[in-house]
Amino acid sequence: MRGFEYLRVAGAAEAVATVSADPGTSYLAGGTTQIDLMKDGVLAPTRLVDITGLPLRGVTRASGSILIGALSTMEQVAADPSVTGVPMLRQALLAGASVQLRNAATIGGNLLQRTRCRYFRDPQVPCGKRVRGEACSALAGTHRMHAVLGTSEHCIATHASDLTVALAALNALVRVQGRDGARAVPITEFYREPGDTPDVEHVLAHGELITAVEVPVPPAGTRSTYLKVRDRASYEFALTSVAAALLVADGVIFDVRLALGGVATIPWRARTAKAALRGSPATPAAFQAAAEAAVHGAVPRRDNAFKVELAKRSVVRALLLCMRTPERAGAPR
Amino acid sequence: MTSKRRTTGSGTTGAATAGTAKGGAPGAPGSTAESATAVAGEPVSRVDGARKVAGAAPYPNDVTLSGLAHAALVRATVPAGRVTSIDTDAARATPGVLTVLTHTNTPGLARGDQTPLGPQVPPPLADDRVLHYGQYIAVVVAETAEQAGAAADLVRAEYEVTDPVLALDDPRAEVLSEPWGADLRRGDVEVGLAGATLRFAAEYSTPEQTNNPLGLFSTVAQWDGDALTVHDATQHPDNVQAALAGAFGLPPERVRVLAPFVGGGFGAGLRVWQHVILAALAARTVDRPVKLVLTRPQMFTGVGHRPATRQRLRIGTDRTGRLVAIEHEALSSRAMEDGVLTRIANRTGTAYDCPNLVTRDRLVRLNIPCPAHMRAPGTAEANFALESALDEISYELCADPIELRQRNHARTHPQTGARWSSNALLECYEQGAQRFGWAQRDPQPGSMRDGQWLVGYGMAGVTFGRYQPACQARATLRRDGTAYVCSAAIDIGTGTYTVMTQLAADLLGLPMHRVEFALGDSVLPPAPQAGGSGLTMALSSAVHDACGRLIEELLALVRTDVSPLRGCRPQEVTVAGGRMHRIGDPAAGEAYTEILERHGRAEVSADGASAAMDPAGTDPAPAGSFAAKFVEVRIDADLGVLRVARVVSAVDGGRILNPALATSQIIGGTVGGIGMALLEQTVTDPGTGRIANATLGDYLVPVNADVPEIEVIFVGDPDPLTPTGVKGIGEIGLVGIAPAIANAVYHATGRRIRALPITLDQLL
Repeated sequence: MRGFEYLRVAGAAEAVATVSADPGTSYLAGGTTQIDLMKDGVLAPTRLVDITGLPLRGVTRASGSILIGALSTMEQVAADPSVTGVPMLRQALLAGASVQLRNAATIGGNLLQRTRCRYFRDPQVPCGKRVRGEACSALAGTHRMHAVLGTSEHCIATHASDLTVALAALNALVRVQGRDGARAVPITEFYREPGDTPDVEHVLAHGELITAVEVPVPPAGTRSTYLKVRDRASYEFALTSVAAALLVADGVIFDVRLALGGVATIPWRARTAKAALRGSPATPAAFQAAAEAAVHGAVPRRDNAFKVELAKRSVVRALLLCMRTPERAGAPR
Repeated sequence: MTSKRRTTGSGTTGAATAGTAKGGAPGAPGSTAESATAVAGEPVSRVDGARKVAGAAPYPNDVTLSGLAHAALVRATVPAGRVTSIDTDAARATPGVLTVLTHTNTPGLARGDQTPLGPQVPPPLADDRVLHYGQYIAVVVAETAEQAGAAADLVRAEYEVTDPVLALDDPRAEVLSEPWGADLRRGDVEVGLAGATLRFAAEYSTPEQTNNPLGLFSTVAQWDGDALTVHDATQHPDNVQAALAGAFGLPPERVRVLAPFVGGGFGAGLRVWQHVILAALAARTVDRPVKLVLTRPQMFTGVGHRPATRQRLRIGTDRTGRLVAIEHEALSSRAMEDGVLTRIANRTGTAYDCPNLVTRDRLVRLNIPCPAHMRAPGTAEANFALESALDEISYELCADPIELRQRNHARTHPQTGARWSSNALLECYEQGAQRFGWAQRDPQPGSMRDGQWLVGYGMAGVTFGRYQPACQARATLRRDGTAYVCSAAIDIGTGTYTVMTQLAADLLGLPMHRVEFALGDSVLPPAPQAGGSGLTMALSSAVHDACGRLIEELLALVRTDVSPLRGCRPQEVTVAGGRMHRIGDPAAGEAYTEILERHGRAEVSADGASAAMDPAGTDPAPAGSFAAKFVEVRIDADLGVLRVARVVSAVDGGRILNPALATSQIIGGTVGGIGMALLEQTVTDPGTGRIANATLGDYLVPVNADVPEIEVIFVGDPDPLTPTGVKGIGEIGLVGIAPAIANAVYHATGRRIRALPITLDQLL
């Protein structure tokens, strides 16, 4: 790790001004990704602005939505009574990290966590996400954990967060403060597919600060679940994950929310699957059709081809779990 | 080790730096009363437990010394070729840097003598050649560890890269035939196969896996003139002494090695790796003590790992399932110019009664870091292949897997025909099956479904070879009524401190808290490595001998004096409550303290020893441990998610000195076995030879959520060939778990997975 300057700031405006003014300066919140990457030599900021003292903590329930302060910890949000009505949100938080990490990691940091791609995380090998213009080492290397959706010849790294998959399914809004004021970005427009600039991962300008995430609460009667399939039972990233919500009336699907994790370069909103399901009967056959639609356009490679089939089966399972009582919903153990 | 010099009497009063552990914290079972009750065999708590949980046990990377400098290693980023230039200017110019060592400014170091486990590691920084990705090409020494690490990142090397040989099946790879003389042959396999009713052939493979002890290996080296003191994470202090003495051309007694506590090893600490030598070299160069702590990625390239194997089995049986022929050939990976003793197929030789057998071990030279010993090396891999094959055969014969094994049980040593010193494998099958509920198993694959879960039962048998090297120990009684017992052995977390304290307490008739056991210091009497499941056998035998000789010394003191014990022979006395008395007459005796007081002695000492045992050459045949493993798996029928639901291990480990610690050891091994079966795989990048998953985030080991209910039962009798009845149980916990899981997967799904690890993509 290289030496760096450490700074605490009193207010959000000062924080934004300080970081915006210098490309070598970064925010420091929970640090669970940032510090790791600095130790590995992937990131080398010259200055860190510690924002943990800013008043951006807490979960509040407004009419029809939940407002989550960006510095709330994952554990704090998972334990908040206002999220109990949105099981997929709570389940995604709990599946996303061990309790030690959940107590340190913040919601804003979770949104901006970096990929677990082994090539991104080793400065000894080329990586276009780390250094613009470098070739993707994962293509020729091993890529069992890598993405099959939203990839390009420049990057196949998987988006790592579980929470953002649930947020994508729920159409959350990311509230942001910049030098020129505040704005709100739908999470479905927040992330960028790698294309030929995999180093650009989201729409934030340098120095823009996530202040809160606003989650619209699904209509009453909606059943939701977050299913995470992984190699070991805990403390591991998803091979596939599915955030699913169903509102069924008289056996007919009235509303559906579906997003995939572990298989894509960004939290993958399955829009065609949603279209396929809405208005159809809630049957395994309909779920199967939706699953086919969800992985449309997938580009499987040598080591990760199984993810296409696994993702389809995961979609079916998640929708079936939604049909059961909420108590029985959840990831397999 | 036999050449090691020793000064009688030194070290007997407990040098401050040696690792010592006093028996029994207050409240620990067996330590509260000065009673004559035996404590060996009781589940007493670890005598070093309180220090460990309080953070007061000094591990090597806790050691700090005045003037300590810190070293960081630079590794090659190509798999094969030459370093054409190495630029250290930027590193040297950074704050705090004291020196940078490369092959261009390093004196040629020698190589220590061959050890029982193979040659010493080749000297580091010897020339410009690169033989694997991750090979050390420089060492940076600086005032702080952070400065050293940051400067190490600035060292730039240019390479002339040659085409590497990285894969076991690369046709260009050189294959070594029988480098260790380990191939076995009895009868005639071809004749056996020709006459067999059932002929079976299959190929199995296991991947490279990395030991990953939690404690990063660390070395602190300090020179005082030409005397070197080293604190090291090792499983064998005497070997570190030998390696460093060899490297620097020193008499062994000029090198002292301290390792009172080690944060695990799983075999990685059996060898002395290059970083240990480099730490000593760095300290000599800057003329200051130097600490070197490996990074986790360096733990994947610098301290050994389990080799990859491809194993071919051909097996013949008669109509009833009696084995008539086994041919087992194992191909395994080794480094291009380095290798340690490796035997894989060889381990099948003693597993079952079979008249015709051939085993062949073949090693493939690759541009990879040196494979070495990891958790039941050889046996774990061979047992996966053989026990999977027997399971396959059981289905072909429509025989119960246990019955098939019982039918082929080796009542005598299969290679020599000698009766075993002890063997309760049949009891392992029987009691394990009963505890597990094997009778509830419907043999039809896929038949035991529970909702979305496919349920499978699988089992495997284990025969673990005996390895009992020579060992020495010293026992001392002091005038204050306490005892000090010591040996240059190691406790890598297995409980050596505790069981030896228990044993010595019984042998001397003292409560545990009056016995201090010291280890982890090369000035103590020579001891073998904590490895090969042999230390407890060897060390308990040496402690037994030392304590017996100590009683003789005391009787010699009182032979002609006023003691009620005068003239007694050792077999006429017994010990209890801090005193000796004539057998059957407790009044006719006296306390040790009285004897020492009367003779004006501060202490009385005796040295003890135990001899190495040849596992093949005697009658009865020295038996190792035996086990039967039973596993239930549950597999999600749609998603392929596999969870181990429960495990029962029945183990014949001879006499168990501490059932709590022994159970822990088997549980730990079981967890390692689950990792081997389902998760662990060291992945090498094709083309570059870089290890792609060299972190604990990417290299998966089981976490708590993966570990089910694990039941351990011990069966069998004390082994008559050790005075303590002990056999080794260090590694048998792991062996058999992987095939039992693979066999359970077949039972659950009808899919036979012959390549580890078994991952969900194979089960979709």
